[in-house]
Amino acid sequence: MSNIALKANHINKYFLTPEKFQVLNEVSFEINKGEFVSVIGKSGCGKSTMLYILSTMDTDYEGTLALNGETVTGKKQNELAAFRNEHLGFVFQFHYLLPDFTCLKNVMIPALRLGKLSYQEIEHNAYEKLKKLGVAEQALKPASQISGGQQQRVAIARALINEPAIIMGDEPTGNLDSKNTAIVFDIFKQLANEHDKTIITVTHDNDFAAKSDRVIEMLDGKIIKQ
Amino acid sequence: MKLGINTEIALTYMVSRRKQTIVAALGVTFGISMFIFMNSLITGTNEWSEEIMLSSTPHIRLYNDNKMNDADMLNKYEGSKTINLISNPQLVQSNNNITNPDAVMKQLQQQNEITAMSKQVSSNVIYSNSNAQENGNVFGVNIREQDKMFDITSTLISGNIQALINNPNGIIIGIGLSKKLNLNKGDYITLATANGSTKRLEIVGVFKTTIKGVDNTKSYVNIPVVQQLLQKDRSYITDIYINIKNYNKTEAIAQHIAKQTGYTTETWQSTNEQSIAGKKIRDIIANSVVITILIVAGFGIYNILNMVIYEKIKEIAILKATGFQGADVVSIFIRQALFIGILGALAGLLFGWLISLAVSKMYIGLGNVTYLPMAFKTTHYIQGALFGIVTAFFAGYIPAVKASKVDPVQIIRG
Repeated sequence: MSNIALKANHINKYFLTPEKFQVLNEVSFEINKGEFVSVIGKSGCGKSTMLYILSTMDTDYEGTLALNGETVTGKKQNELAAFRNEHLGFVFQFHYLLPDFTCLKNVMIPALRLGKLSYQEIEHNAYEKLKKLGVAEQALKPASQISGGQQQRVAIARALINEPAIIMGDEPTGNLDSKNTAIVFDIFKQLANEHDKTIITVTHDNDFAAKSDRVIEMLDGKIIKQ
Repeated sequence: MKLGINTEIALTYMVSRRKQTIVAALGVTFGISMFIFMNSLITGTNEWSEEIMLSSTPHIRLYNDNKMNDADMLNKYEGSKTINLISNPQLVQSNNNITNPDAVMKQLQQQNEITAMSKQVSSNVIYSNSNAQENGNVFGVNIREQDKMFDITSTLISGNIQALINNPNGIIIGIGLSKKLNLNKGDYITLATANGSTKRLEIVGVFKTTIKGVDNTKSYVNIPVVQQLLQKDRSYITDIYINIKNYNKTEAIAQHIAKQTGYTTETWQSTNEQSIAGKKIRDIIANSVVITILIVAGFGIYNILNMVIYEKIKEIAILKATGFQGADVVSIFIRQALFIGILGALAGLLFGWLISLAVSKMYIGLGNVTYLPMAFKTTHYIQGALFGIVTAFFAGYIPAVKASKVDPVQIIRG
């Protein structure tokens, strides 16, 4: 098995409204397993657009994309959903936890969807993840009743529950203070170094990016530095 | 704790929006309880009116109608070499009686659909007591056969049917006639026909059906009395009344009997066509009211689920991002709609039963209606529950499909 976690090949993407506009222009790069990559660039340079293509949620592009050695371009929506469920984890700028559920349940939901383990095993794993991220005390509280930093850590736990190979973050620290940003950064660093997870985050935070293993810089839909 | 994750999410959404859930379920509850109430009332009314009709009409009446003359006899005489036509055919005058009625009845007895039969001979008469006179119809019957068919005993307010059997010159009259002519049991009444013959009979019983037309005009006597009034022989019988097992399936049996005996048959449905029309109209009214209510309830569910989906659109996006497929999202919201439907339907069944029960205790006291007629039928409850759940399903389906089409990229990126 190769050591490449992600391979993007000549990706082009156009926005059609209000007028045809090329957002991504011949974007090609590779990311190795266990790498912690930050994508930076000015607003509107196409870095978020690229991340959503990499996340398989946006399928409207030209070029090919392979994740974990598997070509995902051209797969059907349901296959992609199943693929995301098993192989990808997401952390967004906003936590997007389900407020009607407890933190523990929020973490468990993707694993319950996957349905590979028993309910008890999933519950145990979810609790372990929360413990590792230091929010185990909040496990049984509704997701809407904990602090922003804690919510983001629960969201990371949710991203990790199915042991995905790749974790993607869209401004994962964009809404956090410096202390919580540091915590989240350390978690990512640890995941990449100790657990061999591939991490790709889009960020505005240059300090955050500078500390990561590798920085990809974009400008006007092109990669200018990688 | 072996619920699927979709079910669990659906239930959590329902519980966290308790008020909305209850409002939506109440819509279904109201629809179903109205469905049950309306159906019970309409069915009760229909059964009541059928009972009234069948208290004086047999399921099938067999009689000898005037016939148009046809070419049968000519064909027999001339053979098939010529085509025989009768120009300007006329109704053939006949006696209108059934020839050898006992043989006909014996023949019919062999059909096991037939439960009761009664021979009749009737005549228009003028009842009189000194100077007071009333028009009416006298029915010469075998009172035992007739009693088996129409349960005359239960309508008698004085006397009994045995007295009529014992007294060849006895008569049982209606309460209306009894009051108009001021005659009671034991008094004598005079019957006169158009052809001039008269009979003086002893009243041995008075019945009360609460149907004015019957109570004021009808009377029962032994068959020979009418035969004498009509100046006919002892085998003169004009009608045979036939009751069958399932009175809703008269048509085929009536046709069969007509073919078998060669006489004309008339079913109770065709005798009471206006009442059957009334029943149909009542059914249509009830159904349109019920369907309207269920549609309104359906829109209630649709509305509330639409609102839930609007509120939860980010959560739906995140579920899709973490690997929930379109079908999972549809399943979550359909489940929610179905739970609301089932909840509402169960409450509706109970509530509908309670309303029906309460209304069936309402005193009317007109004619022979004492209490509002209500039918309690399991089929109504099963149908009601099914309709409620089906309505909920369709009301939930549209918003659920809408939710499944949410594009997570658009929602999450804002």
